[in-house]
Amino acid sequence: METTLLLNTSVILTLTIILTPILFPLLSKNTQNSPTIITRTVKTAFLTSLVPMTLFMYSGMESIVSSWDWKFIMNFKIPISLKMDQYTLMFFPIALFVTWSILQFASWYMASEPYITKFFYYLLMFLIAMLTLTIANNLFLLFIGWEGVGIMSFLLIGWWQGRAEANTAALQAVLYNRIGDIGLILSMAWLASTMNTWEMQQALTPVQTPTLPLLGLILAATGKSAQFGLHPWLPAAMEGPTPVSALLHSSTMVVAGIFLLIRTHPLFSNNQTALTMCLCLGALSTLFAATCATTQNDIKKIIAFSTSSQLGLMMVTIGLNLPQLAFLHISTHAFFKAMLFLCSGSIIHSLNGEQDIRKMGGLQKMLPTTTTCFTIGNLALMGTPFLAGFYSKDLIIESMNTSYLNTWALILTLLATALTATYTLRMTLLVQTGFTRMTAITPMNENDQMITNPITRLALGSIMAGLLITSFIPPTKTPPMTMPTLTKTAAIIVTVLGIILALELSNMTQTLTQPKQTPLMNFSSSLGYFNPLSHRLSSTNLLNSGQKIASHLIDLSWYKKMGPEGIADLQLMATKTSTTLHSGLIKTYLGSFALSILIILSTH
Amino acid sequence: RDKYRYFACLLRERFDKNKDVKDMVKATELLKAGEEEFWANQHPQPYIFPDSPGGTSYERYECYKIPEWCLDFWHPSEKAMYPDYFAKREQWKKLQRESWEKELKQLEEETPADGPRTEALPPARKEGHLPPLWWQYVTRPREIPM
Repeated sequence: METTLLLNTSVILTLTIILTPILFPLLSKNTQNSPTIITRTVKTAFLTSLVPMTLFMYSGMESIVSSWDWKFIMNFKIPISLKMDQYTLMFFPIALFVTWSILQFASWYMASEPYITKFFYYLLMFLIAMLTLTIANNLFLLFIGWEGVGIMSFLLIGWWQGRAEANTAALQAVLYNRIGDIGLILSMAWLASTMNTWEMQQALTPVQTPTLPLLGLILAATGKSAQFGLHPWLPAAMEGPTPVSALLHSSTMVVAGIFLLIRTHPLFSNNQTALTMCLCLGALSTLFAATCATTQNDIKKIIAFSTSSQLGLMMVTIGLNLPQLAFLHISTHAFFKAMLFLCSGSIIHSLNGEQDIRKMGGLQKMLPTTTTCFTIGNLALMGTPFLAGFYSKDLIIESMNTSYLNTWALILTLLATALTATYTLRMTLLVQTGFTRMTAITPMNENDQMITNPITRLALGSIMAGLLITSFIPPTKTPPMTMPTLTKTAAIIVTVLGIILALELSNMTQTLTQPKQTPLMNFSSSLGYFNPLSHRLSSTNLLNSGQKIASHLIDLSWYKKMGPEGIADLQLMATKTSTTLHSGLIKTYLGSFALSILIILSTH
Repeated sequence: RDKYRYFACLLRERFDKNKDVKDMVKATELLKAGEEEFWANQHPQPYIFPDSPGGTSYERYECYKIPEWCLDFWHPSEKAMYPDYFAKREQWKKLQRESWEKELKQLEEETPADGPRTEALPPARKEGHLPPLWWQYVTRPREIPM
């Protein structure tokens, strides 16, 4: 049966369906958009994208569609070519499912906003850019999608423009992404100059690539996916409304960097330096984010740091040369992270804007659906057996244990896994159980289907997704099957240790009287001092050097030292040294000149 | 919360015990040590209410608050939706124009020479005058705009 046509048309149909809410109001004056229309569009697109996914699952078919070359030099063509391989075909339904749930949730959450349609437009445009990024077959189209998600992230984080912190957070996001873009452009330039193309098929031949372009790609992923060096924008991005956090900064945008590395992984597979760098960077960012998350008090920040931590874990997987596993972790992570954000959004709205977990508690009786889904999401995050996290996270840790690599990275990652369990449990305990610490009058209800449907759908997804994906997609590299029992259960043991630690700490804090400021807690609370250090140091240095250049270099040096005063200084110096040498008896000198001239004149 | 009060009272007592120290140097040193200890015992991440400065939803709706002079630009059909307000609006604006000079004069007289000390505005002193800058308060936008 000729299924290539079906595959191609269904994918292009999906993309077109998503574009319709933007195009139709431009074409005819009568059709107006509303949030429900956009939600329904995305739902249709999701159902359409299930077709190519099932096709792929049953026949392993991939395809590439190319059209319309843009020739700007004679032998360098940039076609608009769309690659539908395993990663794209799996990612589309997942992204569309998550987006559909989020849009449905957002129509309840943002119901009091005057410009809600504009908000939905922004979310839709973000989705389009993200899908362009995933479906791109050449780096040019990927770059278009990359920049697109950056811009939409800026617009969405700064949705409430009146708020000063939202604006600074949006600016942070854009700047850090830009620094990452430098790396991407560097590697694109290198690829264009050596391979003379930007197509993935031609460019990704697994020969020995020099480390520089790979460093560029790693820099791009660091910027986009908030690894350790360029990470402050992700917690700051929680200034945006909760649906924004759920869509961008949990499931889709932050995986764009990892996705880039997955796409270009043949370039990496031979270069051990780059792989080791990925590994160490990922391990460091996992541990750092997990440390910071343990002392945060804002739910959204805790979940943001857990995203950052999981991204570090994905980077570690790429460093282990296992791109498929990284993609699996992306897919499963999307489900439960989006669900966690939606649950937190429901909790925040129910408490009338309260985001601090020190003021929540005892929500289990009052918001049963939300809290059960919250618990499921947290269990999945911790990697409980047989929920979604287990399939990806455990495999990562097993592979890491059984490969002959860095022990240091291994220890860091295990420690980070324990900390994951700690802060997740802390969050769950403080939010759901115990005595109520909320304000007395709260508009709390879960009656609206708009909330419960998306959350339960995503809960179902996070339970089933791991199982489904691993059953249907055979991995290209054989996972390690035989290992000592300790290694196999390492992840679970570490998680249990983390749980015990969390319970101990919570018992201690019940009886402690004064919150002491130990250096460790200071480190963790102020995000490892990174934010103030880097932001203030770099800007003060820059401004100081700018001031020095302006005043000292230009004014002092050029106008004074090079010109008159410099010459005067030189003169002074010369004269001062030579003053001591001679005795200034001018009359004697003049007399001797006159005498010698007279003698010479008289003798001739 | 009760434990905090207990420790705060202890600290207060320690401060009060040293109140009679006349030696200035020693008193300054004690004060500095006391302030440092106070600072070290402060909470590292104090709880801030969402709507107070520094909170999560502070200034969130600033972008939707439009100033009141935009009301003059409404279409008559829109103005017809609130007839009682717009009927009186011209009179209010005339009142504002008349009392502006008097408000300014009162403020100029009452502020000390090197600038105002607090943000509090004085009340109307004379009979028949309106308190200064009353128009800003009366026509301020809602806290959570529609």
